Amino acid sequence: MKPVRYNEERDDLDYLFDLAEMVDDPGTSGRASQCKIHYSFAPSMHDGVLYMATHLSGPPIDLPRYSPWYSWHDATRCFRGSALLAFDTRNDRVLWWDTLIPKEGCRCLLHDEEHGLLYAMSYPRDHFIIYDLQTRKRRDVGRISSINPQALFLDKRHRVWTSSDYGRLVRYTPETDRLEISPGLLAHDVNYQSGWHSVFYDVAPSPDRECVYASTWCPNPHLMRIWPNEGEWPRVEDLGPATQPRDPTFPIDMFTDHCGGLTFAGDGKLYYVASRWRDPKYNPMPGSGKELQGVVWRLDPQTLAREEVTLLKHPTGVANYVSRGAVDHNGDLFFGHVGNRPSGIFKVSMPAERKKKNAHLPIRMWG
Amino acid sequence: MQTKGRFDPNSPQIKAYEKELAHQFVREGTMVAFPMCLPGMTSPITHDECRITALDIDSEGHIYGGTSGRQAHLFAAAFHDLTGVVLDAGVVPDGTSSVAVCCAKSRVLAFVNGARGGRAIAIPEIDLAQDWIQEWGLAPPVLQDLGECVPREPVVHAICDPSRSTVIGITTGHLFTVDVESGKVVVIGEVSGRGHLGMSSSGVFGQDEGARLWHFDLASGKIRRAAVDLPEGEWTAALRWSCGGDTDQLITADAAGHLFSFDENKGFRSLGKAHLAPVGPMAMIPDGRLFGFCGPEMANLFCCDRISGSVSNLGVAASVLEQRRYGYQFGDAVTGPDGEIVFGEDDNDGHLWLYFPKIKRVTRNL
Repeated sequence: MKPVRYNEERDDLDYLFDLAEMVDDPGTSGRASQCKIHYSFAPSMHDGVLYMATHLSGPPIDLPRYSPWYSWHDATRCFRGSALLAFDTRNDRVLWWDTLIPKEGCRCLLHDEEHGLLYAMSYPRDHFIIYDLQTRKRRDVGRISSINPQALFLDKRHRVWTSSDYGRLVRYTPETDRLEISPGLLAHDVNYQSGWHSVFYDVAPSPDRECVYASTWCPNPHLMRIWPNEGEWPRVEDLGPATQPRDPTFPIDMFTDHCGGLTFAGDGKLYYVASRWRDPKYNPMPGSGKELQGVVWRLDPQTLAREEVTLLKHPTGVANYVSRGAVDHNGDLFFGHVGNRPSGIFKVSMPAERKKKNAHLPIRMWG
Repeated sequence: MQTKGRFDPNSPQIKAYEKELAHQFVREGTMVAFPMCLPGMTSPITHDECRITALDIDSEGHIYGGTSGRQAHLFAAAFHDLTGVVLDAGVVPDGTSSVAVCCAKSRVLAFVNGARGGRAIAIPEIDLAQDWIQEWGLAPPVLQDLGECVPREPVVHAICDPSRSTVIGITTGHLFTVDVESGKVVVIGEVSGRGHLGMSSSGVFGQDEGARLWHFDLASGKIRRAAVDLPEGEWTAALRWSCGGDTDQLITADAAGHLFSFDENKGFRSLGKAHLAPVGPMAMIPDGRLFGFCGPEMANLFCCDRISGSVSNLGVAASVLEQRRYGYQFGDAVTGPDGEIVFGEDDNDGHLWLYFPKIKRVTRNL
């Protein structure tokens, strides 16, 4: 498993290093293997370090699959743990590594740079983890629920936010050292959903840091805008479904109905990628185009008007499942995609009027 | 370094492994995670105040319990007839840890530790037997603080005597009784206050120093220290006893997971070994099977069949009915009136887990 970086000089990808080798957890160990990083890249702006934490699911070398539940108590098979690695982007070298969460994977990571803390969600037990970068000590604050949220975010008061699997906001407040659950629910389709499985999939901060925009890891994902700095509990604005109507009587494939890649660009607009698919009743999509599409949308935060910008095009595979989006210092967009082998990155070159120098700033501090 | 899988997908070992994985959750019977509320109508007990650590069941089949966490709550629950409800009976002021709940004849007593010591709290009778589908009505119960049981000593455990008119409890250093009707606490004497109490036909057994049990004789009111030697085993951890069986069907486990039945006249008998340790809450159902959880962090359900002599791993708890949830840590258990077991989940946002064991096939010669 190798971290990959887009190299603008070569307009190509750099494969940086073998992470399993770097953290001394080789694939031949007989244990579950280091195999991927989920939403767990978090930058450190003052020193140029990029923190990354591994997730699990790669089987031991001599087994076809791995289950963390089945092998939890098996010392020879159980995943050693999420490896946290500090990569110096200024000098291209690994500074140090540590085990962030023993036996478990890291689903998502956040860096509170002012406080020198990393926050993480563990998988499968769904525990909220705090890691002190100075002492390199972890603390387990406790379980949230069963379905992992796929994102954490930070507000101006250094409170950390995520979601529970029944669609409620979860807030960690450093002063009280407490996880609290909101009384209200995140946006979902109230016609036929209860809020269950409305966990965050992706959360992007607005440039002024007054609110965040989010999508859920749930069929028929809704976009929402959340104001964490307001009130006892934030105002959650339902911005409506991100994807097309569909038959609600049958559970759709979660790799079909999806929205991710939320990022603000140099023009101050929110960009995201939502899937679109051919459906005989709800979206016949005439022509011979692909059954599954990844549509780049642009949302105006002032008017909330949305417009379709472009389609992501993969030469051979699909392009509908975007995990994360980012804007680089030139103002171009990048979207990470899963679903093809290998996973890849789409680049969307922006027209000049939508670009801005250092469009990536202020940078997002979570994966 | 690249590594590729080294296995034959068609080998018997790999096929057996795949089969095992397909049944890693609740291999037998059905688990139902029930939230700590009237679902769809009230909010559950607060997430970090809802580690369920104490349970008991009354003669009507209603369940009473206590939680631990930022604040301890006491609650009542019912799952039969037109019920399906958990009622939060209230917060115990300054309480953070519920260690025992005892359903006595006239009311329920709970024992809760916290900043004001180990206290006995009375829960009034709660009218659970209503139509919780259509129309219900009751006033919020008012808890009654009966005071600290033994000054400056946290309560460790407590159980009812067979008449359910007296509760016998231990603190870290003493044995005490509580008259349920009057609420009067009497300190009987010093004991080693570790682990849970077990009720036999003659009295109460508790864990003494060394690998021994003390005995409290109900008739004479006397404590006999070092009354019984524990069998060979690892007796380093606090003892737990199964619930749900008759008084001559006490079952316990050592720190390594070895299971033993105990009869005060016949002594201990080995029942086998759970596949993980430590062994947590256990409950026996009327056909003699014992179910419990074992293992730290991510407990597994096990079944000890005393007739066949087997101890089997039933996997990790998971619920797909009522609430979709994995279950990892459990604090207490009771056996319900129809042979179902109710486990209290000792975790954030703890639920009551109803376990309906698989019915054993019976061959009839007609």
